[in-house]
Amino acid sequence: MNIQHNESLRDKLASEYVLGTLIGGARRRLETWMKGDAALRRAVAEWQDRLVPMVEFATAVQPPPSIWSSISKRLDLQSPAKRKLAYWLSLRDDLSFWRGLGMVSTTAALIFLSVLMTRPAVNLPVTSFVAMLNDDNAQLIAVATGDAVKNQMTIKVVQPRVLAADKSLELWAITKDGKVRSVGLIDEQGSYLVALGDTTSPDVAPILAVTLEPKGGSGDPNKATGPILYKGAWVKI
Amino acid sequence: MLEPEQLKAWLVKVARKDAQAFRALYDASSPKLFGFALRILHKRELAEEVLQESFVSIWNNAATYQSSLAAPMTWMSTIVRNKAFDALRKTDQAVEIDNDSFDPAVMEALESSDPTPIEALQLSDDSKALAHCFARLEGLHRQAIALAFFHDLSHSEVAGQMKLPIGTVKTWVRRGLARLKTCLSPVEQA
Repeated sequence: MNIQHNESLRDKLASEYVLGTLIGGARRRLETWMKGDAALRRAVAEWQDRLVPMVEFATAVQPPPSIWSSISKRLDLQSPAKRKLAYWLSLRDDLSFWRGLGMVSTTAALIFLSVLMTRPAVNLPVTSFVAMLNDDNAQLIAVATGDAVKNQMTIKVVQPRVLAADKSLELWAITKDGKVRSVGLIDEQGSYLVALGDTTSPDVAPILAVTLEPKGGSGDPNKATGPILYKGAWVKI
Repeated sequence: MLEPEQLKAWLVKVARKDAQAFRALYDASSPKLFGFALRILHKRELAEEVLQESFVSIWNNAATYQSSLAAPMTWMSTIVRNKAFDALRKTDQAVEIDNDSFDPAVMEALESSDPTPIEALQLSDDSKALAHCFARLEGLHRQAIALAFFHDLSHSEVAGQMKLPIGTVKTWVRRGLARLKTCLSPVEQA
């Protein structure tokens, strides 16, 4: 059977394949054709999008909690090491996204730099790196400028936020392989000059993140305990 | 409720092995998917096993999910459907097939001449669009399509179940599907 040039037959076969009424040899033949025929695969995908929403016509039933426990155990989702690593690695993966925005961020950063420079109170270092720290809504919260020669950075909070009395903000540098190092505590407003170490310089640790911690910080320089409030990647300028 | 954009965002994170996003995806979609597996298999323990296997597969294959080819719920439902049909074939006991595959509230909304009850159902937009088109089909055509979809039945098995000649069933299924396609086409909906 030649289905190559018979559009309506192809569509009929695709629909019955998805519905399930195409069986036996006819079903296997269609699966073979699909491998070399992108248009046929698309016709099948379109029929899936049409018919599969029928799934929701069945009465929804809450599965027992034991199912999630089994899934989580089988995939080892509970292991704290795995969870932590995945968390920081996902930040690193975001880098490619930020690099895509590189030009935009750099331009925006330069505008902010000029704002910073017009303020005499800020002791501005020679800048070689800039990072824009955004919250989850892509709102700019703080701007960091890094000086690779003196290995220090300035961070300026441009969007002050109210912080509970028993909380602190802690700034972290994240290395390329997902290791986390505390840079220090910061206030919810103002700007600071912070010294960087060998493990926290922009070259080694390309991402900055600010987490919400108990008053005084997480207590462990290699481990944040609270959620990330804002984050950003260094851009070399 | 089951916003495709949200599900898609979670799937992208699951592809990067984000356990939190996986949990959110599970919480949002598992009641629908479990209900569907139960509808196919009728036996709770079989359906539980299928749901578990399906989510393990979703975790392992999220990176191959191509948003351009299918809606996220379609992609996940297809995994559950395939696994449920596999389980169905493996089981020795005959699984009960009833002619009402749909939730009673859905059934009632489809029979109503007023479109409001469909809008009130707890369904995604894709599913509501399909419901509006199903409502326009004749009841028996609808039943033939639902039997095949939910119970992995061939034309002759649907015919046996509905006690009708196979030729009639083939014609109804073909016409029903053609009408659904026209009804769901963007031109028709505009």
